[in-house]
Amino acid sequence: MMGVVCVYAYNIPEGKSGQQVVDSLQKQMDIIGATKTGNFCVDCETYQSHPQNAQQRSIHILHNSEQPATCFSVLDSGTVLVSDMLFDLIMNTMTQAKSGREGFFQQRKGFKIESRGQRYELADFVIKIGSVSLMANFKGVLIEVEYCPSQVPGDCWNLMKEILQSIVGNTADTPPSYIKTKMDSLYTPADTINQYLEHFNAFRKTATPGQQNR
Amino acid sequence: MADNEVERLTQAISLTQKLRTSVTRVFSDLSDGYHISQGNEKASLNVLQKALLTVNDNYSDLEKLVPNLNSVNITAPNSALVGIDPVYDKTPIYSQITHAHKWTNKVHKLADYASAILSPNQLKRTHQGGQPLAIKRQRKTPHAHAIPPQGVDQCISALERLWSDMPITLSRPMGNCAVLQITLSRTLRALIVLRGLLIESVIVKAYSEDFLTPEGKVDLWSRSRYQVFNKVTDMVTAATLHFCHPQMPDLSLRSFLVWFNSYKTLFSAPCQKCGKHLQGAFPPVWRELRTATPQHDGCRQT
Ligand SMILES: [Zn+2]
Repeated sequence: MMGVVCVYAYNIPEGKSGQQVVDSLQKQMDIIGATKTGNFCVDCETYQSHPQNAQQRSIHILHNSEQPATCFSVLDSGTVLVSDMLFDLIMNTMTQAKSGREGFFQQRKGFKIESRGQRYELADFVIKIGSVSLMANFKGVLIEVEYCPSQVPGDCWNLMKEILQSIVGNTADTPPSYIKTKMDSLYTPADTINQYLEHFNAFRKTATPGQQNR
Repeated sequence: MADNEVERLTQAISLTQKLRTSVTRVFSDLSDGYHISQGNEKASLNVLQKALLTVNDNYSDLEKLVPNLNSVNITAPNSALVGIDPVYDKTPIYSQITHAHKWTNKVHKLADYASAILSPNQLKRTHQGGQPLAIKRQRKTPHAHAIPPQGVDQCISALERLWSDMPITLSRPMGNCAVLQITLSRTLRALIVLRGLLIESVIVKAYSEDFLTPEGKVDLWSRSRYQVFNKVTDMVTAATLHFCHPQMPDLSLRSFLVWFNSYKTLFSAPCQKCGKHLQGAFPPVWRELRTATPQHDGCRQT
């Protein structure tokens, strides 16, 4: 069971490092009275069908520590397959070469990306502050806010907006683009995965900021 | 009529005992064996035949009586089962339950009388009773807590048709008391325990939660996993007192449900007093009693 989740990328101000931003966000969590409830991680690997196949297809495999026994597979079309962890083994088999034939899929090199950080609770809200890293390079900060008691984004968006704006500022004036199309439907964990994937894909396209600075 | 019933039952029991004795005699004679002297076989067979005939007679006597017996009501409440328990002699629980039950009935009755007397006087702050209708009814014996199940069923099915976004299902998982399960839009679920038409308790949970124990039975006790719904449960429980009106139990249940229906905007409506959605990470969990406008718990007291 889960509530409605909004994920936003935090705009890192000029001249500040990722760590500084995360520190100040964590300080802010203390101020609003949220309590630390451990760590979280959302990770993503991307596979591509072998070039010998007529159509080149990608498949993204994601895990979310909030659903530790679940494996999410997302196609480029946005279709999400929700399965248990055994799917990882199937994917493993499909990437292996067998009897002279190459695997159906191959892992895309340098595409492993994850968001990792502290998890907080405030009444019925769950707030997660994650640093995103692509192959161990810092790429940015993602803020996830979940309102657990409701399942309809349209019902609780205005309520979530108040807490979101106090964390990410006017970035949260409108719902995340993915949520905009789902305002009237029942929210599911797969919707969270799609939001993360959207952000991950965007981060993969940007240059790594840390590399020039450090 | 009840005496008759008891008489027949006693008769049936004594007939059963008779039958048992005669059957036992046949079998004990057979197992003990007979002393049969030469030429006396016939006499022994006669003895056996006589015994068997007695069994037959006893049996048909009992059979004649049985159709006149009403089957004992098996759907007795759980408290009655406690009464059957042989350990009962050692624990006073059954007599305590009966005692408590009698007292609650008495309290309900007296409270109803009191309210009937008070309602014509405008001392009451929360209700404008005292209409001719109330006066006419006040001579009647109070009954809000003792309405028969059929009456409750009728009342609920009439109420159910009033809201399309609030389906109500009625069940009786523990004997006579009706339990209402309400789904309000896609916002929340509620469980209401009734005694007659009086509201005994209300529990509010999330739309994603249910009211089932791990064994799949109706769960009357557990609270929501979410803090907001536990706050709403407290608020709603307090409000049931306001809506309670023993002279017009159907109307009081109805006005309670009209008010409760306003909780469908629990997450979407801002507080009417401060205009905000959140106060201390909670939405407006209170609904004003007359106007049903949403308010924060902290704002309603100011
Ligand atoms: Zn307020």
